[in-house]
Amino acid sequence: MIAVFHGRSPRPWWSLAVGLTLLAAWLPLLPILEPLLRFDRLAHMLDARTAALLWRSTWISGLAALLAIVLGWPYALLCTRFQFPGAGLFRLLMPLPILLPPLMVAQAWFGLTGMTGPLATVFTFGVCYAPLPALLAARSLHKQAASSFESALLIAPRLAFWSLLRISFLPAMIGAGFAFLFAAADFAVPDYFATVGDLFHVYAAEIFGHSRNFDFTAGATASLPLVLLGVVILLGNAILLKRQLGYEKNSGRYATAISAGRLTLPILLFMLTIVTVLLLAPLGRVIFETGNQGPLSERTWLEVSQQAFREGIDRGRGDLMRTLGFSGLAGLLCLFLAPLWAHMLLHCKNWLRLPLVVLVSLPLLVPSVALGFGSILMFNRPWLDQFYSSSLLPALLIAGRFLPIAVFLLLDAMSRVPDSREENAALAGCSYLQRLFRYRLGTQHASLWLAAGLVVAFGVRELDFAILLPAANASAAVRYYNALHFSRDNFVAAYGLILILLLFLPVMLHGWWQSLRSSDQ
Amino acid sequence: MRISRATLLLPLLTLACGHSDGMSSGPDLVVYCSLDQDLSENIIAKFEARTGFTVETQFDVERNKTVGLVNRIIAEAKNNPRADVYWNNEIAHTLRLKDAGLTVAYQSPAADGIPAAFRDADHHWTGFAARARVILYRTDREGLVPEKLDDFLNPAYAVGGAMAQPLTGTTLTNATVLSLQRGNDAMLSWFAAAEAAGLSFGAGNADVMRRTTHGDFLWCFTDTDDAAKAIAQGHPVAVRYLEQGDGSLGVLLIPNSICILNSGKNLDAAKQFLDYILSVEVETQLAFSVAQQIPLHVGVAMPAGVQIPGQDYQVMAVDWPAVAAAISARAVAFQEAFVK
Repeated sequence: MIAVFHGRSPRPWWSLAVGLTLLAAWLPLLPILEPLLRFDRLAHMLDARTAALLWRSTWISGLAALLAIVLGWPYALLCTRFQFPGAGLFRLLMPLPILLPPLMVAQAWFGLTGMTGPLATVFTFGVCYAPLPALLAARSLHKQAASSFESALLIAPRLAFWSLLRISFLPAMIGAGFAFLFAAADFAVPDYFATVGDLFHVYAAEIFGHSRNFDFTAGATASLPLVLLGVVILLGNAILLKRQLGYEKNSGRYATAISAGRLTLPILLFMLTIVTVLLLAPLGRVIFETGNQGPLSERTWLEVSQQAFREGIDRGRGDLMRTLGFSGLAGLLCLFLAPLWAHMLLHCKNWLRLPLVVLVSLPLLVPSVALGFGSILMFNRPWLDQFYSSSLLPALLIAGRFLPIAVFLLLDAMSRVPDSREENAALAGCSYLQRLFRYRLGTQHASLWLAAGLVVAFGVRELDFAILLPAANASAAVRYYNALHFSRDNFVAAYGLILILLLFLPVMLHGWWQSLRSSDQ
Repeated sequence: MRISRATLLLPLLTLACGHSDGMSSGPDLVVYCSLDQDLSENIIAKFEARTGFTVETQFDVERNKTVGLVNRIIAEAKNNPRADVYWNNEIAHTLRLKDAGLTVAYQSPAADGIPAAFRDADHHWTGFAARARVILYRTDREGLVPEKLDDFLNPAYAVGGAMAQPLTGTTLTNATVLSLQRGNDAMLSWFAAAEAAGLSFGAGNADVMRRTTHGDFLWCFTDTDDAAKAIAQGHPVAVRYLEQGDGSLGVLLIPNSICILNSGKNLDAAKQFLDYILSVEVETQLAFSVAQQIPLHVGVAMPAGVQIPGQDYQVMAVDWPAVAAAISARAVAFQEAFVK
């Protein structure tokens, strides 16, 4: 049996990946698929009221995705491929906004500007998810072949700039596709802006309302239009990715950053503006909130803030560690699963690729509350008691739910490596895992870590199925939202900051480690 | 300097795989709790310290408004029930569990001082530590503040006022109670008339309270626990009880409720837990917490300024089983009216 996995054939490993995905993602979906097959209900899926809600969700998410691209793409382009003071710091800060819970960002921007309504929702989602197009574009820009870029530069700088745009546009669009999906499924941010301003609703509220009925039928049927919309977006992503696969392969030197020259000051100002919008302004407001009190309060800002941080550490430390534990485990699972899936998609027959993309993406498209109830029905059995109560179950579900993001990222990264490298390794007798991890992914480790890191970040933020699973219930997200809705504003702000700091720590360490490595070389 | 990535990965692996829930032999009691985690976890910890029992507690979040854990109890009961006790921060969904046959009877001696209106005749559930539905208003602004529910329909009151949409939580319960008194269609018309009069609707009670403290509204219709937090945070606000005086409906009082579930495990520990939670000591602790929950035992000490139901204000009579039977259908009707 073990010999099978030591062999050259990828099939045993791909079968293992499919088996794990079955456990982590597809089995919990089974209980909610059954109601979807009752076609009598599908006929009444949308009426005028729900169609209006769906349209509002679509344009809000579409504009948010557009804003994410507008903010994220130039950010990635400038800090990845131009030399100017602080470029390294800007690169380091790029993923940070994705660690901020969108609801926290919404509260911060409302506190700063008083913005409300659907456009405030668009702005918040655009700001929160701008790192997705930015990170995907940055990876492509970082791996551009020096030969093609330098040739273009020799002919005309404009041509070189065009090559930068061309190589990063499709990955940025893929990132925007994911931003759309997250924005469309989010209920909390529009709900918040509807509360602080004029009331409006989005389609996710309709799903939430119907998910209170336990028979799943209403919730599952209500979620179907959003699932179908998500499938369309993902198919769009898959088509973009297929086009990207046709772009340049790179087996040699990577293009280096060019000096910003006379544009240094404008670029610096632009980058500072973007970082302020994405990060510094909301973080500043959140820091202010840690000590904010009513006018009749007799305590100082500092006293209140200190107490909030003390409570955050005292009360929330255990939950934080548990959350990092199961989210970290989910990240580790994706370190293994995502390369196998990406490689399988890269090599599978064309007709099979799209159905596989849809299958692997399905857990991301269904409401996570449905995934949670599905896992209760599938795994809460007397003989599975240990597994059901363990941290492994939330880790598996998080890995299964956010796997598509990691797979898309790695598929893009792998497509840049020439097939000849892997073919030579096969001729030399290398095992499948060696070919995959050493020769296909050998120069793409940063993408692999980024993929796992995103899974961890989204896992930490996951709330809906955390409520439903024994080992995930005592988590940072549950404590955060519990405090938020009971108006413990100081605690919420302080706890959110502690959470962000803990998540950002590995990113900083990685940046520091990279700089050590480059100084060694 | 060469550091392998596997070395960096080791601490994460250790953290992830080495994590245990601290209950390798299983807990002595599993409690599902919808009351605010900050309020309830200290009380449960005290119970653990006194009895030596290990309690596994699972919490809900306010965003789910009780429904997350209730539906989880129902889902888990299909194959392998886990929870021994359900501590609900309201009452209607506890009755749903009783109606589904998921609760067992237990007459706790600690419940003796609680009025019969808040106890199940069959002893499947007991109410305690309540919240009242009240008006929270700003004391630093001039304007009309309602004294009756139907004042919400008068533009002179409604403009500048707010309440949560009746989709979840205590507002849904409140709206269901009223729709049983007035009829479903009449209640839907009442909401439409209130909106037309200028009343604003928010997502939740805490949210409308927050907006009132920020000065967006003169008053809001909310719960006493939200009002108590606003006052504790130093905002210039005060509480008014609706529907007082001869022939008036009185104030709706929504208690916490607790029941033993038929998991078939840890029944003795569950009974001890109920005795503890229903004690005067716990009601006193909840009364002096930031939420200032209202004790239902007679004669329990109260913080200064907190009014006593039945003595300082009239309380609405409610047929709770009827509310529980109607609440799901009403939720759908309100969803269709409000989510658009």
